[in-house]
Amino acid sequence: MAAQTEVMTGFDHMPDRARVSLGGWALRGVCLLPVLALVFALPYHSDEWTNDAIYAAIFAMVGLSMNVLVGYTGQISLGQQAFLGIGALTAANVVNTGTTAADPFTFAIGIVAGALVAAGGAAFLGVIALRVRGLYLALVTLVFGSVTADAVFTISSLNGQDAGLPAYRPTALQGNFAFYVFALAMVAVCIYVDVWIRRSKVGRGLIALRDNELVASAFGINVLGYKLLGFVVSGAMAGLAGGVYAFWSQEFSDKNFTSGAGFSLALIFVVMVVVGGLGSRAGVIAAAAFFALLDPLLTGFAHHTGWLNWYTDHKQYIQNVIGAVLLLQTVIFNPGGLGQVLRPFTQWFSGKRFSMHDEGDAAGAALGGGSSVRA
Amino acid sequence: MSVLEVRDLTIRFGGLTAIDNVSLAVNEWEIVGLMGPNGAGKTTAFNCITGFYKPNAGQVFYRGEDVTRVPPHRKAAMGMGRTFQNVGMVKSETVLENLLTAQHTKAGYGALKALTGATAIRQREKELTAHADAILELLGLTAVRDRRLGSLPYGTLKLLELGCALASDPDLLLLDEPSSGMGPEESHELGERLLALRQALGVTMLLIEHHVPLVAAVCDYVYVLNFGKLLAEGDPDHVRNHPEVVAAYLGGEAPEELEQTEAPDEQAAAADELAEVAEVAEVAEPADSGPATGVRKRGLRRPRKEAS
Repeated sequence: MAAQTEVMTGFDHMPDRARVSLGGWALRGVCLLPVLALVFALPYHSDEWTNDAIYAAIFAMVGLSMNVLVGYTGQISLGQQAFLGIGALTAANVVNTGTTAADPFTFAIGIVAGALVAAGGAAFLGVIALRVRGLYLALVTLVFGSVTADAVFTISSLNGQDAGLPAYRPTALQGNFAFYVFALAMVAVCIYVDVWIRRSKVGRGLIALRDNELVASAFGINVLGYKLLGFVVSGAMAGLAGGVYAFWSQEFSDKNFTSGAGFSLALIFVVMVVVGGLGSRAGVIAAAAFFALLDPLLTGFAHHTGWLNWYTDHKQYIQNVIGAVLLLQTVIFNPGGLGQVLRPFTQWFSGKRFSMHDEGDAAGAALGGGSSVRA
Repeated sequence: MSVLEVRDLTIRFGGLTAIDNVSLAVNEWEIVGLMGPNGAGKTTAFNCITGFYKPNAGQVFYRGEDVTRVPPHRKAAMGMGRTFQNVGMVKSETVLENLLTAQHTKAGYGALKALTGATAIRQREKELTAHADAILELLGLTAVRDRRLGSLPYGTLKLLELGCALASDPDLLLLDEPSSGMGPEESHELGERLLALRQALGVTMLLIEHHVPLVAAVCDYVYVLNFGKLLAEGDPDHVRNHPEVVAAYLGGEAPEELEQTEAPDEQAAAADELAEVAEVAEVAEPADSGPATGVRKRGLRRPRKEAS
């Protein structure tokens, strides 16, 4: 609940809150109801929806992790799916004790270990990536993603071979809705961290080095250290998402991350953070949820219109085309992304006056400033 | 002991020796000018001093400590603040956020602890914001507090950049052409502001500056670079009339030519200013520690406004 409020408000600049009357807050509360209904009531209503909603929550976490790395730090990553996979692999291996229901304590360790190991992997990638930028960074991360998938995820003693490694949930989270609530709590953790990145010297340091490394170091920011920190925090968030992913699908299978599958995940992750708006929390979460729900929505639509078979045959292309079109319209017409569109609303919810005119365009400048994103 | 001492600094880029055996010193509470024609190596010298470039030879001492190889962010933490020729700030952020970013080294909490959002962090952030607001007040920029930098005029940005450099409570301030893009009136104000800042904060300054009246009005000592070599040094009057300096700037013309080219009124005004200033005999010492070696030549001055 609290988490969802944060999603909507997204305190981007620690605004000095205008004095809002009790009625004003009540009105905001009422306007929040449809959003809460969408987030809670719909998944509660149908098990199929719950399943899709968990997937959306996982994507939201990955979106936030990309936001830290690409949005704040200005470093491109085409290997984020590797951290998702590392988190999933670690979590699944930790809980894999042979029983059919994981012990809650082991489960917690698995989730935390997934995040930590992924953070370690990100630190490793970060150390390499500190030396390159732009196109070369994109290549390095791309190679990191595919090498991790081919060399680590295929180790047969870890991945459960062809059958995949089972990752059973603890009894309390056996039900899909209960697990969904858990996934939302993990999203809330990521949002909380993101909020404090943005409110503390960490976010200011990352954004400063994204804009201009020389200026950042003149301000006393350890550019290399902060870049590495950006990688590590981003990797930890993606690893956390990976843990949730493993228990959502209740198995780890390397096929989800190797070759084509892994690469298309990597592309979606980059597209969704740009479409969502670099540096915009609410926009990135919304875009991530959209891309996660694209397939179920299109399947439902095709089912009703009788195009189901045709859609099933071509779903990969259709989704890619939709992603490409959204990316192009963002880059050409709306560089601030979805976050720019949502900003008047998020600011209103945070207690500011509703205004369509933002002071300068933050996210647009962010896109222009992040040179490695453009390269 | 000098606040900053540069000994035999040399840096080469390929075959070009950009800085050749340059030595200079900045004493406690001094405002020292670094002049020279375009391409003389002034900014390169700044970059060597602040750690952005690694010199091929020579040493940089900060309060007696050899800091030649210390990276720029650590020098900033040690109390060396700097500005850039083309405004060095975070463009995508607001004025307030820039001042907060500039206080990075003063934040006093660990990066990982920050992510927990502990009460101590909230408290500290409030203090940092209050400090930023105080600086805005001091510079008269409160009105643009929440504006993004892109929408601000150049002069305001230059002033704000000075504010950012001050935000971290520097001990030594290196200013790269603080008056660029300013008219005579504005740069006169800037000069007064620099003197007032030294008076209020006890900060020592080294500035790259072209604007002769400004140099004459604020600098206690001036170094002139040409083609990477130290051409002349001394108090501003001495340097201004130094034949080699004039030759370097104007290509061999006589000193009289300088007077004519450089807007005679301003020069006269600057000379008057100097005379006026020299009359102010009373000298205020910095509160905590007096100058170790004393300020060269013209001594400490009060800001003009107070010295009626």
